[in-house]
Amino acid sequence: MRKLCGEAVDAALAAGASYTDARAVSERSQHVSTKEGRVETLSDAESEGLGVRVLVGGAWGFASTRRLDAAGVQAAVERAVSFARAAPGSHSRALAPVEGATGSYRTPVERDPFSVGLDDKIALCLGAEEAARVPGVKFTSASARAFRQRKHLVSSEGADCEQELVECGAGVDALAAGDGLFQQRSYPSAFGGSSAQAGWEYVESLELEREAPRVGEEAAALVRAPECPSGVTTVVIDSEQMALQVHESVGHPTELDRVYGTEAAYAGTSFLAADDLGSLRYGSPLMNVTSDATTARGLGTFGWDDEGVPARREAIVAEGVLRGFLTSRETAAQIGSGAGGSMRAETWKFMPLVRMTNLHLEPAEAATLEDVLADVEDGIYLSTNRSWSIDDKRLNFQFGTQAAWEIKRGRLGRLLRDAVYTGITPQFWGSLDALGGPETWRLYGLTNCGKGQPGQSAHVSHGAPVARFRDVQVGVRP
Amino acid sequence: MTRALDLAQAALAAADGEQAEAVVQSEVSGFARFAASEVHQPTLIENDMVELRVVRDGRVAGAVTNRTSAEALAELARRAREAAERAPRDPSFPGLAPPSEPPAVEGYDERTASLAPEEQAQLAREAIDAARPFGLFGYVTSGVTEIAVASSTGIAVSQRLTDASVLALAADDTASGYAEQASARVADVNPAGAAREAAEKAAQTRGGQEIELGRYRAVLEPYAIAELLEYFALHSFSGLRVLEEASYFAGRIGERAFDSKVSLADDALDPVGLPKAFDFEGVPKHRVELVTEGVLRGVVWDRATAARAGDGTQSTGHAVRAEDRSWGPQALAVSMAAGDAKSLEELAERVGDGIHVTRLHYLSVVSPREGIVTGMTRDGTFRIRDGRRAEPLVNLRFTVSVPELLAEVPGLTRERKLVNRAQWYGDRYPYGYVVPGLATACFTVTGNGSAPGL
Repeated sequence: MRKLCGEAVDAALAAGASYTDARAVSERSQHVSTKEGRVETLSDAESEGLGVRVLVGGAWGFASTRRLDAAGVQAAVERAVSFARAAPGSHSRALAPVEGATGSYRTPVERDPFSVGLDDKIALCLGAEEAARVPGVKFTSASARAFRQRKHLVSSEGADCEQELVECGAGVDALAAGDGLFQQRSYPSAFGGSSAQAGWEYVESLELEREAPRVGEEAAALVRAPECPSGVTTVVIDSEQMALQVHESVGHPTELDRVYGTEAAYAGTSFLAADDLGSLRYGSPLMNVTSDATTARGLGTFGWDDEGVPARREAIVAEGVLRGFLTSRETAAQIGSGAGGSMRAETWKFMPLVRMTNLHLEPAEAATLEDVLADVEDGIYLSTNRSWSIDDKRLNFQFGTQAAWEIKRGRLGRLLRDAVYTGITPQFWGSLDALGGPETWRLYGLTNCGKGQPGQSAHVSHGAPVARFRDVQVGVRP
Repeated sequence: MTRALDLAQAALAAADGEQAEAVVQSEVSGFARFAASEVHQPTLIENDMVELRVVRDGRVAGAVTNRTSAEALAELARRAREAAERAPRDPSFPGLAPPSEPPAVEGYDERTASLAPEEQAQLAREAIDAARPFGLFGYVTSGVTEIAVASSTGIAVSQRLTDASVLALAADDTASGYAEQASARVADVNPAGAAREAAEKAAQTRGGQEIELGRYRAVLEPYAIAELLEYFALHSFSGLRVLEEASYFAGRIGERAFDSKVSLADDALDPVGLPKAFDFEGVPKHRVELVTEGVLRGVVWDRATAARAGDGTQSTGHAVRAEDRSWGPQALAVSMAAGDAKSLEELAERVGDGIHVTRLHYLSVVSPREGIVTGMTRDGTFRIRDGRRAEPLVNLRFTVSVPELLAEVPGLTRERKLVNRAQWYGDRYPYGYVVPGLATACFTVTGNGSAPGL
């Protein structure tokens, strides 16, 4: 791998590139899913290849190939350079300086998830399903995954580093239907559970089988529950839904490539402008959001990003004020501060993009869920994402949750179904008036963050505590 | 014999007498993505993916690789076999598909297949130049995809398909307009034409106003109706979701649910679309009636869900890639019948007072069983007054019940358009919906968003 990357860099420089990097990647993934007590998916996939990125006359070129031999790599370099020479545009690009990354990084792992047999993974899923199958539940499903990515990056500016990232995750769902209603509860998170960069000890720590009966009982109860009423009220949001809230309304708008418009055609732009840095009030003084590519178990954790910029932790929002953007070397040079550090590609096939790493809402010093609920006279507690939509500038959002509970005089009351809440990003964050403490802070890893054309799915993590917001519109129906 | 079928046969041979099915998906593609009239994200890809599914004594499992040497295929077979050995028996597994002659379809164009990176860049240049003075955001892409299925039951089918598309968002700080074109033949795609359409639309969007929230009559351009239907289809046109009672169609087949002007089918054989001859189990494609003159007729099936449904239900040829199979069979070639309106302007006349929607953004299914979808409009939202398109509006949040939206349809256009729906995640599989413009009596606006522009 290292040799081929070096050959690609040499060939690109010889062809006239002013900058080039080559990234060779090999991946393996296992996916087990069960539904209704039978195996639905049992797959063991591998993929390998090399992507080479070139700057020629200020224009980018990028080509990728699965052919890991000298001829394949040479052909990829020629295609990348040919395209860059023909690319329309004025092309004046600078890259923020970075010290050449050298060395290696590996995810700390206690138990390699690939050393766990497929039969054990199947048994885990079937056991969780069985435990979720309580009266009133119509369907159950469960899944487990393991993923390993090895990559080597060599650049014309001295980067020469290798990394091995290991992930695993799992989840269980219970579905209930009746009287024209379809309801679902999931643990630990919707849409395939939650993942972490860790060994199988992470999956064991989820204790799916222990949580599954509650998941089933709540799904069954939702079919009989009243609909969440409409109105403007106080909401308390659990840490799982807060992870999604942070992702959509803080993570994406602070990606500096979106601010500069390069995602306009697909994912959209941002309500933020580059000169908002340091002055824009994003939310209430309780709001502190941190980007941290060093978070233990975070899916966005690495030694270096895919431009060779070392991992670091930095403030994005501090005491409610915008303090940072997520950047590449190119966008960092454009704004004149920072050094990148958020560039990641899904795999060898694709060019790196500015992506969230691990983005967290920091907790209060100390507060339990009960503390956050305590002075809510009348409100709604929202739990676990069900639907999500936000506009192209990341301002107008509408999110739905799998379950909700009334809050009456500081305590949780009746279960409610079909809860939806909506808002405008800075006003919503401005209404944040209480946060849970570290004991309510949870880290969730999701593997389906979409961006780019061609589309790329990034793996990112978010940690968040429970949070309380005042004067929020809930219960939107057609 | 094609290269992909050779590779599928080689993978099958590596399985060494097992009951097995090999699927190959090969891709050579180019992507010229641009923003602010400059290419910033080019992507040229060459890849072959080989999936081997092995059945051992009622136990089923698969393995995937993109290494194609004899040693790599032997390793693939070993991994698939080992996985199958660890799986429990699945009494509901219907077995691998029997051989069946796939229909002859169009959809391959040598000129498109041979387009060089420099030519893709040139097409992007033509679009960019035509959009001025607006900046252009979007892409030009073309590719050749080859799919092959070989199985121990005797399936040996392959198809080469090409695609070319242009996506054009013309915008500046206070205006934005959208257009796109797609075809199996690059000669049928006019990048400059799409860019001009986007720029003309953008010029009309300055000064977008907010509106009162509530129900409106509306005209949806083909871009908007295609995206809305796709999110509805994800749950409601899938046999799996019917079995799980998560589909609007569950328990309603045979009911008159929509306006009699609404007829929907999944038709992968339509030469206007991006034709496919067979699915990822090697089952031949054929046209499936979903809605006929407002009456719910059926949904799509793969072999596993058809077997679970019983009552003689057969696969309709809608198995998706193994990695996506937990979503169940999918309708990826939805075709909506045309109407009698000569133009979108005539639809506006029929609407009288309402809104015009060019394109949607970031849809999400709020309630699959009820067919409730939320999202935003963007890049060309206007008020319709006195039967004519009037002042521009801000981007609007909508939350609609798709069945309600289709329950009263004042009209559809005579002309239909192929709207690309592939977002190009994973391995290349071009697909699109063929739809007309549509007028509806019920489009619910639930929020005002940002003004048009960057």
